[in-house]
Amino acid sequence: MRLLSRSEELVLLAVWRLQGQAYCIPIRKTLIKVTGKRWSFGSIYDPLERLERKGYLDSYLTKPTKARGGRSKRIYFLTQQGKKALLEIRAILDTLTSGASEIKFESKSNG
Amino acid sequence: MDTKTSPKAARWILERIHTDKGFFTHIGDFEEAFSEIQNKKGATIAYLWYWMQVFRTLPCFIKNKLYWSVTMIKNYVTISFRTIMKNKWISIINISGLAVGLACFILILAYVQHEFSYDRFFEKADRIYRVLVGDDRFGTEEREYNDTNPELLAPLLKSEFPEIANSTRIYKSTATEKAVLQKEDKVFYADGVYADENFLDILTYPLLSGIRTEVLKGPNTVVLTESLARKLLGSEDPLGQTLAYREKYRTYDVKVTGVIEDLPEATHLKFDYLLSMETLRSDKRNNYMFNTWDVWNFHAYVELIPNMTHESVETKFPQFIKNYFSDKNLPTNEANVILQPVTDIHLRSQIRGDRATNNEIQYVYLFGSIALIILLIACINYMNLTSARSSIRAKEIGIRKVTGANHTQVFYQFMGESIFITLVAAGFALALVHLFLPRFRTLLSTDLHINYLQNPGLLFLILGAVVLTGILSGIYPAAVLSSFRPVKVMRDRTSSGKKGSFFRNVLVVFQFCATIILMVGTLVIFKQMHFIKSERLGFDREHVVIIPIQEEETRKKAGLLKTEFLKLAEVHNVSLTSGLPTDIRSHLYGTKFQTEQGETINMDFFFDYVDHNFVDVFKLEIIDGRNFSKEHRDDDSCLLVNEAFVKKLGWAEPTTKEFKSMGKKRKIIGVIKDFHFATLHSEIQPMAVVLGGGNKLAVRIHPGDVSQTIGALKKAFEKNTSSQPFDFTFLDDEYNRLYRKEQRTGQIFGTFSIIAVFIACLGLLGLSSFIAERKTKEIGIRKILGATEIRIVSLLTKEFLKLIVIANVLALPVAYFVMRSWLQDFAYRIGISAWIFFLAAGAALLIATLTITSQTLKAALSNPSDALRYE
Repeated sequence: MRLLSRSEELVLLAVWRLQGQAYCIPIRKTLIKVTGKRWSFGSIYDPLERLERKGYLDSYLTKPTKARGGRSKRIYFLTQQGKKALLEIRAILDTLTSGASEIKFESKSNG
Repeated sequence: MDTKTSPKAARWILERIHTDKGFFTHIGDFEEAFSEIQNKKGATIAYLWYWMQVFRTLPCFIKNKLYWSVTMIKNYVTISFRTIMKNKWISIINISGLAVGLACFILILAYVQHEFSYDRFFEKADRIYRVLVGDDRFGTEEREYNDTNPELLAPLLKSEFPEIANSTRIYKSTATEKAVLQKEDKVFYADGVYADENFLDILTYPLLSGIRTEVLKGPNTVVLTESLARKLLGSEDPLGQTLAYREKYRTYDVKVTGVIEDLPEATHLKFDYLLSMETLRSDKRNNYMFNTWDVWNFHAYVELIPNMTHESVETKFPQFIKNYFSDKNLPTNEANVILQPVTDIHLRSQIRGDRATNNEIQYVYLFGSIALIILLIACINYMNLTSARSSIRAKEIGIRKVTGANHTQVFYQFMGESIFITLVAAGFALALVHLFLPRFRTLLSTDLHINYLQNPGLLFLILGAVVLTGILSGIYPAAVLSSFRPVKVMRDRTSSGKKGSFFRNVLVVFQFCATIILMVGTLVIFKQMHFIKSERLGFDREHVVIIPIQEEETRKKAGLLKTEFLKLAEVHNVSLTSGLPTDIRSHLYGTKFQTEQGETINMDFFFDYVDHNFVDVFKLEIIDGRNFSKEHRDDDSCLLVNEAFVKKLGWAEPTTKEFKSMGKKRKIIGVIKDFHFATLHSEIQPMAVVLGGGNKLAVRIHPGDVSQTIGALKKAFEKNTSSQPFDFTFLDDEYNRLYRKEQRTGQIFGTFSIIAVFIACLGLLGLSSFIAERKTKEIGIRKILGATEIRIVSLLTKEFLKLIVIANVLALPVAYFVMRSWLQDFAYRIGISAWIFFLAAGAALLIATLTITSQTLKAALSNPSDALRYE
């Protein structure tokens, strides 16, 4: 697996989490909720596009609806490769964060 | 809750930026977010949010766009420049061809624009019309219009028709001769008209001093042009000055009441001064032309009320003619009155007498199309050379496409390249225009000035023409080049440049067709002009000096001058005459004659006043009867007629005939052998000459030192009269002047066909050198296998010569029909003989062969080992 950037990683996870409802708006909402940071539309589109090009994501268009000004949704889902990548990410994180519960807060002056 | 849709303008911008492969799902996302925000926080916030999204996206978008386009344009320019430098010869051919073509086109464009700008400077130009009266009394098929009409017509038109807001008249005493204006010792010839008080109100020539409505009031007032005022009065204030005004039958002292700007070149009426109409009217001797329907001496102009078409006024004229013309012995059935837009006079005049000063629209179109053809030939050069050499750039295109350029981008690249080259050529073209403008002025005998600052319209036209030329010449090569498939061009090392060779051949054929037609045209016109010059006209036009008599004092001394001239050793004979054999125009209508069978018929004929020496001076031939003679006292009522006159009436013994004409019983005493007293455009018509007053002295001089003879004449003239400056022309020049238009057309054709040949050959040169270069290996192998140089040259040349032959086959019939219709205009004309075609075809073939051989020979002579060394 090629290493993913943090935003790619998060977007990939959000897509997995949303399960068939993953298009820009809910992805963005999820990420805002989880991270508590501002996510612009562009900061979602860009990783999505890159992930699609790398073959981790695929997408399809839905029926256009009036609420969307007559436009379709582009719904993203994980490919086999994407799922594998997800597992690998998990493994990497697990390895790296093992023993993390022992991290202790020290005084701020060290930080 | 009332839901609003997202702002349209913002959405529009977003749609441009986020194309999203054409699905616009992004826009859907924005819509959804918009309605959500609207539900939560209200429409205003949602609007603001939406717009914010747009504004935040824009800067980055623009930066990207600009960055990449600048990079690409830089790359395109670099590549274009390298291509130009790498193929110097081809680029020189392309650029010089386009430059010459564009230069021709710009010159003609400026000329055409100038011709169409006539009389548009009048404030109410679109509402001013000239009154023409037409009738077919002349019996010609084509209706002839008179620009002159009776004095009463113009005021009557104004009072009869509410649509006519105003009317004015001018009177031009003589169409060709000038009047004399004198201030103390300064004497000048000048050209002018008598004009109504309101003339300057309608034809608004710009007035420098004086009051527009006052200057032409009252008798003996004159308005001068600025330059005439300066010539006569120097730096003095012209207003209030008194001048002596003299013409043939009138002499007045006139007061200057106003000065107008020198007339613009682009106006149909040419004058140096305006005299008030009252000057003419208050002189009792002119009473005959006022208050009458019989004397047609005046030109009339009317101004229509706004938003009125002249057609709607014209429909009322037939009834008007019936009412006013019928009881005045005027032609009613055949007559009609039309209003000619003042802006049409220069190019669409239907007046025979006008044709000398005015242009004809056909000529403007003709020159315009020739310029277009030349430009097209230059464009074709570019198209052919670029598309033929496309294989050379195949790799570049392949790489571009592989690295992501699409069809459109490559297309625009080559389009841009051709526009770039056209712009470079346009720079040279403007320099050429500047260089050749004086030459062009004499060629077209026009006072054309190109001032880009004062004429921004022209600048835009030129710019448009240049860009269009670039697009036209680039579109085909760009289409060919952009359609290359990268895989194919990168794999095939030996793409032959054969692609589209059929289309190229068609273009070459077209080029040479046009060139050959121009050549044939030139030859036919020159031959006809030669015919005109060498045609036996029936009189001798060599060695005759014409001295006009312009004013009263001199006229009184005309007899004296004649005898004085006859005393000079250099002078052979002198005639005091009105008519010149080159140009007898007076027309006498409907004279009654008795034919041999005793029938009475009406016949029109031309006539003029001459004297006893007329026949001798012009070396006319009398074939029956006798010349006028001093010994016969009653010759005053006799006349000489021409052969056509006798033939038309079918008289067997013309010298016994008498008829009543011009208030007298007339006797025919002699018959003159037919001579061309009008242009060769028309058949020789019946004509008669009678004894009477003359207005010019025609002096036949002995061949020899002409300037000395003129000096002697001048001395004798000035010794006897001082009221008129000495002025003269040669009969030969007068004759040539009749064919100025044809002469001009011939020169234009000649010049342009040389240019066409030049440009077409440039293209051929480029193409053949390219083909020879491509076939280096083939030639090498052929030579090794024993082909002679001649065979190789002929092999390479044949292909092109085939095209020239096809061009000949297509062009010659077209040229034949075009030139035949041109010649149809002459009653006396040359036949189009076969040698003209052989000459044009031969010249085209020869020039083409020389051009091609110069390239192919080089290839054929090269050492085959050079060509094959790298195999």
